[in-house]
Amino acid sequence: MSLDYVKFSGGFEKFMPKEYRDMVEHGPFGKKISVSQMGSFKEILEEHPMCAGCAMTLFIRLAIIAFPNPEDTITVGTAGCGRLAISQAAIPFVYGNYGDQNGVASGLSRGLRLRFGDKPKDVVVMAGDGGTADIGFQQVLHSWFRKERFTTIMLDNEVYGNTGGQESGMTNRGAVLKMAPLGKKFEKMDMLQMAKVAGCAYVATVVPNNPRRVESVIKKAVLIAREVGSTYIQAYTSCNIEYAIPTDKVMEDAKTVENDRYQFTEYVSDEAKQYLTERYGYKDYLPKAAAPAAAIPNKT
Amino acid sequence: MYLVANIDVEICASKSCKLCTQYCPEANTIQYSEAMGTDRGFKYGTAYIAVDRCKGCALCVWVCDTMAKNNAIKMIMIDQLPLAAVTDNIRYEEKTTVAVLSNPMIVIGN
Repeated sequence: MSLDYVKFSGGFEKFMPKEYRDMVEHGPFGKKISVSQMGSFKEILEEHPMCAGCAMTLFIRLAIIAFPNPEDTITVGTAGCGRLAISQAAIPFVYGNYGDQNGVASGLSRGLRLRFGDKPKDVVVMAGDGGTADIGFQQVLHSWFRKERFTTIMLDNEVYGNTGGQESGMTNRGAVLKMAPLGKKFEKMDMLQMAKVAGCAYVATVVPNNPRRVESVIKKAVLIAREVGSTYIQAYTSCNIEYAIPTDKVMEDAKTVENDRYQFTEYVSDEAKQYLTERYGYKDYLPKAAAPAAAIPNKT
Repeated sequence: MYLVANIDVEICASKSCKLCTQYCPEANTIQYSEAMGTDRGFKYGTAYIAVDRCKGCALCVWVCDTMAKNNAIKMIMIDQLPLAAVTDNIRYEEKTTVAVLSNPMIVIGN
């Protein structure tokens, strides 16, 4: 949980595999990196078993790059496609039993605060729509009501992709899936509204077809969760297998869905705005300067 | 055989938009190198593919054709590639990478 664990033990440098040496010497640990530098540094997430063209993987890749202090971050996940990639990353990953992830993260984040005090240690939950909105719903909502200070990210592919295509609470009404042949009969759950009601300090929706936006949203959410309270990000990460999207059209679909029902929305509580401005120098939330007054004619 | 992405250095090094590096779902698969473009007399560096990691989804082709409008990436059978980068031959440097190109069939075969 610090830069120490990404260093070589003395005398072992030359015996370490190339992958490991690259990670220590050219990884993002202890540096400021951004999505514009992608392709020129060693990434924390590599060689995962996710399907070709998976938008969820792209989102996870961007999210991990966006972590403000990757060396001080622990990710928590649960059953689902996402954990297959997140658990491959070179940062600690805790696997909660199905639905437990926000309970596990609550304990973890409290424990880290007891152990490390004010030194920021970030806990980020990344779970699918089933893990967050269906099976883990109770623990997710309770962690928000308790104002637990960690980030919850929903990888919303609108289906149980890992088990063959059952409908989830986040599936759209009328969607016909392999294991839901009659079409879903209920509306998609409004988790954003629930997050606001439960008192999350930061709530945002995002689609991975805008990497810079993903980066900025994740950074803000993780920073706010350090001190202010729970933060929630809902990301549309299509399942190109269950929704039969050709892999080269995944970003086209993301764009269509973004325009249709997944527009970028961001809610920041007043306390969080003040915190971001004062602590991290965000200028977006400063009071807008008043429009210049009409020129007063000079009397002289 | 299977398809992998292949980037036309001539087009890429004249535009250098780097969009494909940000949209590939596979980490460290579309890499960027200053030297591989400028050494050949082009204005900028170029993106290139670590072909052993490419899963052939062609997402980058859509990004390059539709978003960047550069049409620099084509899918090509891996045994038809003359020379390509593979992960073991990629070296990281300060803010860039350098790849020694080789015949991917021989390297991956080994």
